[in-house]
Amino acid sequence: MTQFVQTIVLGLLIGGTYALLASGLTLIFGVMRVINIAHGAFLILAAFITYSIWRATGLDPLVSVVFTTPMMFAFGWVLYTTAVQRVRGAHVSSSVLLTFALALVVEGLMGVIWGNTSHSVRPPYVNESFTIGEIFLPKAQVYGCALAVVVLGALYLILTRTWLGRAIRASAVNPSGAALVGVNVSAVAALAFAVGVAAAGAGGSIVSVLYPFLPGSHYQWIARLLGIIVLGGMGSLPGAVLGALLLGVAETATVTYISPAWATAVPYVVIFVVLLVRPQGLMGARLREDVAAA
Amino acid sequence: MRRRAVIAVAALALAAYPLVSDDLYYQNMIILSLVFAIGAVGLNIISGYGGYISLGQGAFLGLGAYTLAIMSTRVEGVSVWVWVPLAGVVAGLFAALLGVIALRTRGPSFVIITIAFLFLLQLVATNWKSLTNGTSGLTLPLPMWSIDFQNWPFYYSLYALLAASLLLSWRIRRTKFGMGLIAMREDEDKAATVGIDTPVYKLLGFVASAVFVGMAGAIYGYYLAFVDPIGMFNILLSVQILLSMLLGGRGTLWGPVLGAFLIEPLNEFSNNSLGGGNARLLVFGGLMMLVVLFLPRGILPTAEGWIAARRARGKAGLVGARLELRERPAPPAQPAPTDRALLEVKALAKRFGGLKAVNGCSFAVPEGSITALIGPNGSGKTTVFNLIGGTMRADAGEVFFDGERIDGLRPWRRAYRGIGRTFQITRLFREMTVLENVVAPLRAFRVGQLNAGAMSGPEAERAEELLDFVGMAKFRDQKAAALSYGQQKLVELAQVLMLDPRLILLDEPAGGINPTLIERMGDMIRELNAQGKTFLIVEHNMPFVLGLCDPVLVLASGACICQGGPDHIQRDPKVLDAYLGEDFVLAEA
Repeated sequence: MTQFVQTIVLGLLIGGTYALLASGLTLIFGVMRVINIAHGAFLILAAFITYSIWRATGLDPLVSVVFTTPMMFAFGWVLYTTAVQRVRGAHVSSSVLLTFALALVVEGLMGVIWGNTSHSVRPPYVNESFTIGEIFLPKAQVYGCALAVVVLGALYLILTRTWLGRAIRASAVNPSGAALVGVNVSAVAALAFAVGVAAAGAGGSIVSVLYPFLPGSHYQWIARLLGIIVLGGMGSLPGAVLGALLLGVAETATVTYISPAWATAVPYVVIFVVLLVRPQGLMGARLREDVAAA
Repeated sequence: MRRRAVIAVAALALAAYPLVSDDLYYQNMIILSLVFAIGAVGLNIISGYGGYISLGQGAFLGLGAYTLAIMSTRVEGVSVWVWVPLAGVVAGLFAALLGVIALRTRGPSFVIITIAFLFLLQLVATNWKSLTNGTSGLTLPLPMWSIDFQNWPFYYSLYALLAASLLLSWRIRRTKFGMGLIAMREDEDKAATVGIDTPVYKLLGFVASAVFVGMAGAIYGYYLAFVDPIGMFNILLSVQILLSMLLGGRGTLWGPVLGAFLIEPLNEFSNNSLGGGNARLLVFGGLMMLVVLFLPRGILPTAEGWIAARRARGKAGLVGARLELRERPAPPAQPAPTDRALLEVKALAKRFGGLKAVNGCSFAVPEGSITALIGPNGSGKTTVFNLIGGTMRADAGEVFFDGERIDGLRPWRRAYRGIGRTFQITRLFREMTVLENVVAPLRAFRVGQLNAGAMSGPEAERAEELLDFVGMAKFRDQKAAALSYGQQKLVELAQVLMLDPRLILLDEPAGGINPTLIERMGDMIRELNAQGKTFLIVEHNMPFVLGLCDPVLVLASGACICQGGPDHIQRDPKVLDAYLGEDFVLAEA
């Protein structure tokens, strides 16, 4: 029983961080129908930046979120305006190919800068845990999850309470309608893309503490994040959170009850099963597509 | 002609190379280029023709290589080569499996599936140690032939496989199967409404794109003499195959081969001169970005575009030519519609989230009639069409055609029964010519038909007749995308007629076209009606509707509120109310 509760708790803790990472991906998809395959590479990039800051200054990796988030925001904005924007409106596969190519380039650059060896950021509390009864809560996981929830909350407030948020959501639902009522759709899309990448930045700082990483880790991360947004329903923010928690629990349960070697298979199996049984995911709506072209 | 000569010379030079040169470095490069080329030609069938972009094509090479490695290390006393066909079968089976999973997905979800497929196979190959020996990989038996033959058996077997792949690709492009795949690429939902059984096409397309690649993978594994999960299910391999196709030109026969023979040498260069590893990622990631951004169609189509543009310089475009309407005999008197209902809709309902687009809609279309379906914008007309045609499934209610219930049938089955429809915003297959568009519809599904020539036989003749009927014969070889909106409406009508439907659903046939053409459209509808076709027409142009149709059905808020002759409709208070609103009051003078 204790083991079971422990598994669930650890799954939910890691699920919080997944939720932050996946929310950026699902936001970008929701607004511009672009699957940002480079999302995993961006978060690993943020993890490496966190690593460098930590090595140079000893700054707590979770605090360095205040640097990685704006840096990745700017990076995302530049990428969108120089590259991604050009393939908007083209066939959906163009944007997938472009962001995939971007992921390869970022992976190569990270290899050149930091080398292809495993890195990890180890603040003093990394081996400590809180304990509640027989349940132990690793401090890094707790802090990471708390930070993820805070950033996610901020993201939610931006989307629901600000003009930018309304503009983003309006552009997601109906770009031409949004343009008609005075929203500069392409500028909003650039901001939305940047916000999505910034979420990957914040998440990457957290990931640097939780897992060892190397440039090639981004494949595993993008698979996981895709599994989450497919499960939650592509484009749905609440769906991404739900999917992230479920996937977090499914992974820890696989580690506990089956084998760590198969935990990486969980996202793939989730993708197959969801797309086979319920392609719109848990919280995605099937939209009518016939008028979309008009 | 020149092109053929170039290809023939290249093929001969490639065949002769190992005989005249014993340079193993270049032989190796050509062998790997052949592997890439087979992968890319296969990928082109489902991605170039069918429009399904896959990032997992390398998985079939890996499956083939593992099949050969596992069998040849376990079964002794037989030639390793006997496992090559088996590798093709295994790859084909996995492709069919992937196809089944991907049946309900398209666009972005499909790409996700292909990536997941590749990584999952890699993981299985890593973890299933008893079968694959895990990350340590499997070492294959060394070739038994004399050293004098160098790598000839690998070289020529791959050469033959590439020839077979190209032959398959060439054949598919010319058959109804290939035409269906291209129609799917252009507009999958539309393809289903003109009788293309899309799941079958997709599945066969997947299998066709994998079998030879699996066999090539087996030879590739034998050639390397070692298979492991990292090498065989490497995503970069899939990227290089995909890039070969994109760079050369997707949807073309030779583009993938050209691309492969460019990409593989670049691979060698970045490995040997740039140090491999990260440099390879930067080279291929960067190249893929450049291709997607600046050369999205690939080398061959872009070059052909230039040549065509040079030749056409100074000539007037045909598309802008005036439509010539030939005098046709006045249509015979309309036969009186029978009382029998050809189409009957009962209590149909369809919801989009909270919006009830169609809400308890019931009506009947008498056989032999030209029935109109009118109603204010948003009253559910197009959704009713989608439910009748099968593009959408109803939440509740029944649809009967010719006395039989059809609401459970997929769109192509309904097309086979004799329902054809056009779309409000025309949906032609844009990259296909006008004639190809009209030939594409299928009246039934037969296995043999898949292999039938796309543009041959009675269908092609019939298509030409129909184009002549709608006055578009001159445009037969133009790409559909080049036509004006009004011209597209005419071609779409011809396309639907190709199905020889008993019931034709027209969604705003007179919308957005000039008055002369509207009149012509009306005449054509009358003429077809006199030949026995029943029509159901959604239209906002009231003079057109009232002059042509009887009965008229009025839809409001998703339900049929009134029906009858044109005179009756114009006076019905419910209709006035629906169009003008409850609180509509004439302004007082």
